[in-house]
Amino acid sequence: MQLEASRKPLTLQLKVGLAIVGAIVLLGLLAPWVAPHPWDTISMRTRFLAPNATYWFGTDEYGRDVLSRLLMGTRLSLAMGVGATAISLAIGVPIGLASGYFRGWVDEALMRSADVLMAVPPIMLGLLFLAVTPPALWKTALAVGLVYIPQIARLTRSVTLSLAGEDFIQAAKARAETATYILFREILPNAWPPLIVEASLRVSYAILLGSALSFLGLGAQPPSSDWGLMIAEARSFLDRAPWIALAPGAAMCLLVIGINLLGDGARERLDPRLKSRVAT
Amino acid sequence: MLTIDDLTVRYRTLGGEVEALTSVSLFARKGATLALVGESGSGKSTIALAAMGLLPSEAQVTSGRGLIGDDDILAMTQAERRRLRGTRVSLVFQDPFAVLNPSLRIGEQVGETLVHHRGFSKEKAHARAVALLDEVGIVDPAVVAHLYPHELSGGMRQRALIAGALAAEPEVLILDEPTTALDVTIEAQILDLLETLRAKRGLTMLFITHNLGVVKRIADEIAVLYAGQVVERGAKDDVLRAPMHPYTKGLLAAVPRLGGKKKQLAAIPGQLPDLRVPPSGCRFQPRCPFATPDSASPQVLIELGDRQVRCSSATQLRDTAWPEAEEVAPAAASRPPDSRTIVDVRDLTKSFGRGGGLLRRMARASQPPETKAVDHVSLSIAAGEVLGLVGESGSGKTTLGRTILRLIEPTSGTIAVAGETVTNKPQRALEPMRRAAQIVFQNPDSSLNPRKTVRELLGRPIVRFGLAALADIPARVDALLDLVRLPRHYADRYPHQMSGGEKQRVGIARALATQPRFIVCDEPVSALDVSVQAAIVNLLADLRDRLAVAYLFISHDISVVAHLADRVAVMHRGAIVEIGATDAVMERPQHPYTRRLLAAVPRLDSP
Repeated sequence: MQLEASRKPLTLQLKVGLAIVGAIVLLGLLAPWVAPHPWDTISMRTRFLAPNATYWFGTDEYGRDVLSRLLMGTRLSLAMGVGATAISLAIGVPIGLASGYFRGWVDEALMRSADVLMAVPPIMLGLLFLAVTPPALWKTALAVGLVYIPQIARLTRSVTLSLAGEDFIQAAKARAETATYILFREILPNAWPPLIVEASLRVSYAILLGSALSFLGLGAQPPSSDWGLMIAEARSFLDRAPWIALAPGAAMCLLVIGINLLGDGARERLDPRLKSRVAT
Repeated sequence: MLTIDDLTVRYRTLGGEVEALTSVSLFARKGATLALVGESGSGKSTIALAAMGLLPSEAQVTSGRGLIGDDDILAMTQAERRRLRGTRVSLVFQDPFAVLNPSLRIGEQVGETLVHHRGFSKEKAHARAVALLDEVGIVDPAVVAHLYPHELSGGMRQRALIAGALAAEPEVLILDEPTTALDVTIEAQILDLLETLRAKRGLTMLFITHNLGVVKRIADEIAVLYAGQVVERGAKDDVLRAPMHPYTKGLLAAVPRLGGKKKQLAAIPGQLPDLRVPPSGCRFQPRCPFATPDSASPQVLIELGDRQVRCSSATQLRDTAWPEAEEVAPAAASRPPDSRTIVDVRDLTKSFGRGGGLLRRMARASQPPETKAVDHVSLSIAAGEVLGLVGESGSGKTTLGRTILRLIEPTSGTIAVAGETVTNKPQRALEPMRRAAQIVFQNPDSSLNPRKTVRELLGRPIVRFGLAALADIPARVDALLDLVRLPRHYADRYPHQMSGGEKQRVGIARALATQPRFIVCDEPVSALDVSVQAAIVNLLADLRDRLAVAYLFISHDISVVAHLADRVAVMHRGAIVEIGATDAVMERPQHPYTRRLLAAVPRLDSP
C-alpha cells in the first residue's frame, strides 16, 4: 500500500505560504545572531538615518537599527499570534464540541454566551480585559485568545453538528462509549481540517489585534520591539522618517499573507477523503 | 431515433485518466424503450450525459457520435445543444429531492422550458404546465402548480419532473434511475405512467437502471454495460430468459427472488478492472468462471441472430448456467427451533415532535401534534432467528431498530434483550446489553470513521469491553477479517481505500467484534450493487448459521428479506400490520397493505 499524500505535488499557494512563514520563523528564531546591530542600544549620533548600506532599514528616533528591532520583534509577534490562538483553541474547541454534540440547554447556554461575547467589538473586549491591570505582553496574548473563543467555538460546533449525524457516532454509542471518547476520539480527528484553516486565520488576526493593542499602549511596553509598539512610537515621525513605521507594517503584512496561504493550502491536503483511492 | 455510435469518453481525474466508455454503440428504435443495465462504475450515467450533451468539462470525447434523429449532439455548439435539449430530448434525473429548485413553485419549474425555448408568455406557460401535471396523473394540478417542492411527496415530485421533461415535447426521453429513490408502490405507479406516456406520445426512451425487475417491466430491448463496454444486447425476454454473456448470467443469478429461499445467492467475486489502464482482453475475465485462454485477447461484439454478445465463447456458453452456489448446509437448514427469546419488545411507542431548544419552545405559540414513528409495536426474536422488517420509507423501520438498541429513547413500552429488561435503566447501566446487541448500518461511507484504520475500527470494541488482552488484539482483528472474508492486510487500510462492499464487511466485522447475540441490520445491502449485495447477504446468512446470531433485518427490498428471513414483519405508518413465517406472508398475505406491497415489487420471475 502506498500513501499518496507524500507524492501529491505541493500546490503553489502552499509553497509560497511555506516559504514566507518558514523564512520569518527562522529569522525570528535566529534573530540575536543574524541581527546586524544590537536592537536596544541608544545612540544619539545615528538618529533618523534613512535606509543605507550600514542600516538597511534605517534607524529610529533613538538611533536604534530598525532591521535589528524588526527581527527581534518577530519573536514577539509570533509568540503573540500562536499563544493567543492556542488559548482560543484550548477553550473554544471543547465548548464547540459540547454544544454541537449535547444540543439542548447546554448548546443554548454556551452559544448564547458566545453571542454576547461576539456582539462586543474585539478591540473593546481586549481593552476591557487589559485596562484593569498593568499591561504586559502575556496578558495581551491571553486577552486576544479569549476574544477569539466564540469564533472557534462556533466553527467547531457546526462541524460537530454534521459529524454527530454520521453513523459511526451511532456505532460508538452502540458500544457504550463515553461522551468524552466520542467527542475527542471520534469527532475531533475529523474536525481538524476546517479547524486548522480557521486557526491559521486566527493567528494572523491575533497578530493584528495584539499589535493594535500594543499600539494603544496596552500590550508590550517600551523599550520592547513589538511591531505594534514600533508603529505606535514611529507615528509621530511619519513625515520625517516614514521607514520606521513602514518596516514593521510591511513585515506584518507579509506574515499575515504567508499564514493565510499556508492555512488554505493545508486544508486541501489534510482531508483523507480528498485523496484518491489506492488501486489494489 | 437515438443512436450512440462508437462513443469513447475519458475523464481526467487526480489519479490519472479514466476511460469511462470504450466505443459504445447503442440504438433505440422510435417509440421503443431501451434499458441500459449496469452496476456503479459501468459508465451508464456517462452515456446519459453524453446523449444530452451535458458532459462535464473534465470529460473528453475521443471518438464517436450521439445522434438524435440525424443530428450529432456531440458535434454541436453549446447554443445548438441547448436548443436541442429544449425541443427534442429531455432528461429525468434519479433524485427528485435534489433536482427541483426549492424556492420556485412547481408550475414555474414545469413551464420553464416553454418560456425559454418556445417563447411562451408566463400565463400561457403556466396553463400548459397545469395541463402537463394533469397528464402525468397529478390530482388537482391547478393547486399543485402553486405549491413548492417541499410540499410534495417523492412520487409527486418525480411526476412533476416528468411533466417538466415533457414540456419540451421531446421525441427522446432519457431516464437516469428515475425510480431508484422511490418506494416500491410509488415506483410501480411511475413505471405505469411512463409506459402510458410512451404509448400515447410515441416517445423513444433510454431507461438507465441497475434494477433488473424494473427492466423486466418496462424495456423492449436491453443493453448490458460492464466497465465501459456493452457486453450484451438484445430483446428483453431473450436476454432475461437466456443470458449469453457470463456477466449477464451472473447478474441475473445474483438477484434474490421471492420464493427462492432454498439456495445461496450467486455472487460475482472480484471488482471492476482499473479503467485507468483498461485491459486489452475481456474486461470481465478476472471475475469470470468460464474464462478461457481466448479471453485474454480483445473481445468484439459477436452477432448471434438479433443478439450481440462480447464474448468469444458465447456460442459454447449459450446453455451453460452461472455456477450454482452450494446448497445451504443441511445442519443449518434443519436448525432446531430455538425457543429462547433473545429480544422481546412489548408495546413500544416512540413519538417525535416536541423538540427544540428552550427559547424555541418558549417562542412556539402552539404545540405541533406529536407524530408516532413507532406505534405500540410488540415483537420477539428467538436466538439465531432472522426477523425481516419491511416497509416503505417513513414507516418507522429505522426508528424501531434504533429504539430497540436504545440509540433512540422510547416514549413508552418495554424492551428486553437477552432476558434483561433495558427500558428501565439509565444509559450507563446498559453495558451488558451493548455487548450483546449490535448494529450494522446502511451507508458504509458514513458508518466507518474515516480517520481510523480497519485495525483501530475493529480493535476498539474489543478494548472497550475488555474481551482480550492488549497483546491478543491483532490476532482477534485477523480472526474478524477472516470471518467476513477480507484479506488480513486490510487491517492497515483506511475506509476510503476500500470499495463499498469491503467497507460493509468491515461494518459487519465491527458489529461481530463484541460477540453479540443479536444484530440490528439496518438496510445493510441497500447501498450496494446487485453482485456485491448477493455476497453480503450470503455472508450474513453464513454468519447466522455459524455464530447463531439473531438479526432484525430491516430492508425496503422485499426479495432480499424473503431470501434471508425466517419470519417477516410488515410495518406501515409506525405499526406492524402483519407478522408471520416468511413463506406464509409471501404466499398468503393477509393484510391489504402487505398485498399492495407485494403486488408492486418488480419481479424477474413474474410471467
